Amino acid sequence: MIKKYFKTIGVIALNTFRETIRDRILYSLIGFAALVIAAGLLAGSVSLGQDLRVIESFGLTAMLIFLLIITLFVGTQVVWREVERKTIYLTLTKPVTRDQFYLGKYFGICLTTATSALIMGAMFLLEIYFKAHIFSVPALFSIIWMIFEVWLLTALGLMLSTFTAPLSSAIYTFCLALIGHASTSIWQIAQKSPAALKYILDVIYYLFPNLEKFNLRNEVVYAINPPFSQVWTTVVYFIGYTALLLVLGLMAFRSDEF
Amino acid sequence: MLKIKSLSKTFYQTKGEKNVLKNLSLEVKKGQVFGFLGLNGEGKTTTVKIIAGLLFADKGKITITGDNSREKIGFMSENPHFYDHLKVNETLSYVGELFGIEKEKINIKIPELLKLVGLEKSAETPTKKLSKGMRQRLSFATALINDPELLILDEPLDGLDPLGRLDFKKAILALKKQGKTIFFSTHILADVEEICDEVAILHNGKIIEQGNPKKLLGRSKKTLEEFFVEKVTQND
Ligand SMILES: Nc1ncnc2c1ncn2[C@@H]1O[C@H](COP(=O)(O)OP(=O)(O)O)[C@@H](O)[C@H]1O
Ligand SMILES: [Mg+2]
Repeated sequence: MIKKYFKTIGVIALNTFRETIRDRILYSLIGFAALVIAAGLLAGSVSLGQDLRVIESFGLTAMLIFLLIITLFVGTQVVWREVERKTIYLTLTKPVTRDQFYLGKYFGICLTTATSALIMGAMFLLEIYFKAHIFSVPALFSIIWMIFEVWLLTALGLMLSTFTAPLSSAIYTFCLALIGHASTSIWQIAQKSPAALKYILDVIYYLFPNLEKFNLRNEVVYAINPPFSQVWTTVVYFIGYTALLLVLGLMAFRSDEF
Repeated sequence: MLKIKSLSKTFYQTKGEKNVLKNLSLEVKKGQVFGFLGLNGEGKTTTVKIIAGLLFADKGKITITGDNSREKIGFMSENPHFYDHLKVNETLSYVGELFGIEKEKINIKIPELLKLVGLEKSAETPTKKLSKGMRQRLSFATALINDPELLILDEPLDGLDPLGRLDFKKAILALKKQGKTIFFSTHILADVEEICDEVAILHNGKIIEQGNPKKLLGRSKKTLEEFFVEKVTQND
């Protein structure tokens, strides 16, 4: 029984992956990202001695930006498109629960974003190898952390897309991604603020995702392996937050009519 | 096999409330071919969507009997749509996998179904290249992949040419012979008289007439179409 439950989710996820990975816009985004990452080589040769650091910092930032675009683009559209194109009827009239459908869509998008990240990440690691003849472990961690980040944001975008149109949910997800990366600054400002403002900023800090947890750019640039305690708190944070978003999204999706 | 009791559904549109179904009740018995008739916009699709769980009723109850009932239903939705990235055979394979059917069995079943619905030459065609009638045929095939006991078909005749309709009627009668129960909605009455054991006319949210088409028409020389129009205008 349980095996069948997850197998159905897998069938939907694979179909979603196949659908989204064939998208021409996705190809162009990955292609463009590859160019930008490669362009880091040029940027690197401008600043003597700092080559590697510049390449790493620039490459990771470029990767994150492109992954965010891909996530916003794919993650907030997939369910809406099923409803709009009425393909949702094909799946939901079968022995498939709303939960299975929603989770299948989620994992399908995750496969697509992870594939994109792995392609870009492989290019990035090759570039570092080419430049410095090292295999950077922190860079590998950083890429995995980025995947976690976009998986969390996918759950967020998917949840928002059950309430609003794809464009607005993409905009909201983007804003929350910005806030999420400003979380350290928000916390710092909160400490110096008057009580009322501090309260609001604290709520924002604790409620919204803290995406800085997934930022390992400094560790990469200074070649520091992230300590074990940080690794597992990040993993737990990712799983907990994402699960919460998925449950909230599912609750909304269960009562939707098509 | 399928029992609908006091089903009510209201849509809240910008123009105001629309009570589409008002205490709709009907029963489809095992082995019957049941025609669910009504003009456009009477609520046939709404009823089918509630049965499928796509819409939620405000009131009322639907009971489907049979083992693993949901696994043993074949649905065909109105104006079927498919995934653009899948071919005809891939679409059938996807649906089969949703039912948890093993790959080998699906691969045996697909050519049989394609032959039955007359799409054997289109197995490798991307679904976006299908005509309306071909979509209808593919949709019918997807409804049959799990070898269902109960078929629920929304406007299956829509978009079919005369040959397509004839094929469909033959297929329905063949399925009836195998003991299947078939519930289908339609606003096209010309064809249903010959294949239905029972018809129900949906009007203003209720069933205004139900019975065996031959008995309903009795000795009058009316066609089902004339009978239908008469009943609907009487009830306005
Ligand atoms: N999701 C919806 N929201 C608002 N009104 C709807 C919705 N779906 C159907 N309706 C309205 O309900 C009525 C019945 O529609 P439908 O069930 O599709 O009729 P039929 O299938 O018999 O042609 C129509 O007037 C239609 O406009
Ligand atoms: Mg209809």
